[in-house]
Amino acid sequence: MQQILVIAKQTFKEAVRNKILFVFITLGLITICCSVFMPVVGDGREKIKIVESMCFRSITFFGTLAAILLSASSIPTDIENRVLCTITTKPVQRTNIIFGKIVGFMYIIGVLLIIMGGASYALIKFTALKHSAQGNGNLLAREKIDPHTFQITGESVRKMGNVSWIEGGGKGTSVWKFKGLHSKNRNDDLEIEADFLVESKKRFTGKIPINIKIINPYSAKVLTESIEVSRNKPGLLKIGGEFLGGSEELTIVVSPVNTGDFIGISPDSLRVFFGSKSFEYNFLKGLTIISSQFLLMVIIAVLGSTFLSLPVNILFCLFIFFCGNITDFMRDLSTVINVFEMHDHEHGISAVLKKTNVFVTFLDYVIRKPIFLLSYILPDFKNFSVGKYFVDGINIPCKTVFMSFGYAVLYAFFCLPISFVVFKRREIA
Amino acid sequence: MDNDIAIKTENLTKAYRSFWGRKKILALDKLNIDIKKGEIFGLLGPNGSGKTTTLKLLLGLIFPTEGRAFVLGKTTNDVDVKNRIGFLPEESCFYKFLNADEILDFYGQLFRISRKERKIRIDRLIEQVGLGFARKRPLRQYSRGMLRRIGIAQALINDPDLIILDEPTSGLDPIGTRETKDLILALKERGKTVLLCSHLLSDVQDICDRVAILDKGKLQISGTIDELLSSKDVVEILIRNLSDEAIIEVETFIKEKHGEVISVKNSSGTLEGLFLKINAANISNSKTDV
Repeated sequence: MQQILVIAKQTFKEAVRNKILFVFITLGLITICCSVFMPVVGDGREKIKIVESMCFRSITFFGTLAAILLSASSIPTDIENRVLCTITTKPVQRTNIIFGKIVGFMYIIGVLLIIMGGASYALIKFTALKHSAQGNGNLLAREKIDPHTFQITGESVRKMGNVSWIEGGGKGTSVWKFKGLHSKNRNDDLEIEADFLVESKKRFTGKIPINIKIINPYSAKVLTESIEVSRNKPGLLKIGGEFLGGSEELTIVVSPVNTGDFIGISPDSLRVFFGSKSFEYNFLKGLTIISSQFLLMVIIAVLGSTFLSLPVNILFCLFIFFCGNITDFMRDLSTVINVFEMHDHEHGISAVLKKTNVFVTFLDYVIRKPIFLLSYILPDFKNFSVGKYFVDGINIPCKTVFMSFGYAVLYAFFCLPISFVVFKRREIA
Repeated sequence: MDNDIAIKTENLTKAYRSFWGRKKILALDKLNIDIKKGEIFGLLGPNGSGKTTTLKLLLGLIFPTEGRAFVLGKTTNDVDVKNRIGFLPEESCFYKFLNADEILDFYGQLFRISRKERKIRIDRLIEQVGLGFARKRPLRQYSRGMLRRIGIAQALINDPDLIILDEPTSGLDPIGTRETKDLILALKERGKTVLLCSHLLSDVQDICDRVAILDKGKLQISGTIDELLSSKDVVEILIRNLSDEAIIEVETFIKEKHGEVISVKNSSGTLEGLFLKINAANISNSKTDV
């Protein structure tokens, strides 16, 4: 343990004296401060959203860049400079060198996170304070309630992926049931946000009216509201918390009003918020999730550095980071390529032609399958995306924090043994 | 394994392979050497002869293609045995942002030496290698010779039983070279084993008990300096204050006894000796001036 800490301290010192850490922090702080000057169309809440978004993006960007560049370069540079040649002749297990480096990088990233996180918090608070006089400077951390069940009744026009399209005029309805609605303050507003895809057979203005029926199963109270939803702007409905009357359950039924109007829905399309948590606590949870991403990136970069040269390793890390952010797209892409494939029910000449089609076979074995496989092997960095929570003013569930951290640890659990084995077998000449 | 043996190699072979796994260079070919405890052993050879490869194999930095090596009775991949080894690499490469104190402290901590003991050893070693005046200066400001000195200090931080030195005197001035050689001899007196490799033959000849000469990865010859260099049929007599007439008489006498005089000339010292003499004189003059 002592050796790990000694190497970690040394790694940290090196980054500090190289001034690399300060470069990243300075650039990050400049970007964060620039967010205040971003022009915004809208009220104070929009300004806060921009500042929050910029702050988290800056922390993520510069933190990830620091994690990649420092971790990817350390071991190859030490080997090239022959510093490692001297260290490995001391009674130090090579696993301790790797652990020490990782702990050192986490020190560095920790410092970066504290400084940039602190500056971001101060700036967000400042922006909120500035707009509080106008009454729209609240820093939100609303409690989002996940639907317990979701079902479509009536006829579903068509289903694409997890989006179902239903038509209005009583032809189809979607039903969400929510459980566990509780708040410290019963007078908190219940907010319902409807974010649907919309289409219409008629002359389309971009907006369609929908009916929202809110049912309290405990008191049998029913509230029916009609709102307009459009493609880019979710419909918002606020009702008083007293509607619940102590019940923790709620059923919401949604359907387009008119025949020929369609809404595309998925379980996440309707969001219910009830109650709120401390913004500061939410901010800390956000930073914890981001630090999990940095940990994961450090471990991947260290893994690469055990067998790759410096430039190749940096490219390797950037590739992983880029692809790790588009795993969904990769899965979708492999599905699209799949369209070219033969379907089970096809037979006869068409089937024979497709079976013998070299292009289809090539696509399948060289592109589709590797992409599909990669999308599952590569780390999914969407798990660490926190910006959306702050922009939408949603409290990050503790479960998400643990899941993100657990995901990073699990990934590390697979990567570290590979790093140890490879580095143990590596010749340090 | 014999308890008196510090290093033993058995058919130690190292072949570097190409990207495709084909054998490219045979850096070391079936090396068999035994180095006894307490001796100074020199590994000689031209560039690319396999000296540094041998050291790296003994230190577990690279792995043998064939054969085995034992260091202080343990295999080369044993980490614990490194507690008893000090190593000076061919090029003294350290974290350049640290100063002499910090770098020695760093290596001392890797040996798990207590803080108090580290401080004592660091002070002693820095004085011993003559870097007291620059101990707080970052290593990036050090000259090559100074880096060599700090390299020697780090190799001795754990008071090792076996010291492996790769080109210990390269980059050092004649005084530094002499001091290093004296240091190595002092280590021997303390019962330490020293394995050094160098292509500076005079250095090796001055201090080594035994040497091995490598060429193209193969062991050419090994033995004590006397065994390798002495000519049994040639006698050398050094005489002071002999007149020219007396020299002629001695030559005549030798011829009468059927001996052959190979050469008669005035004795000449070495450049190193001359340099050290001038330097010593300068030091004593400056002391007198003061």
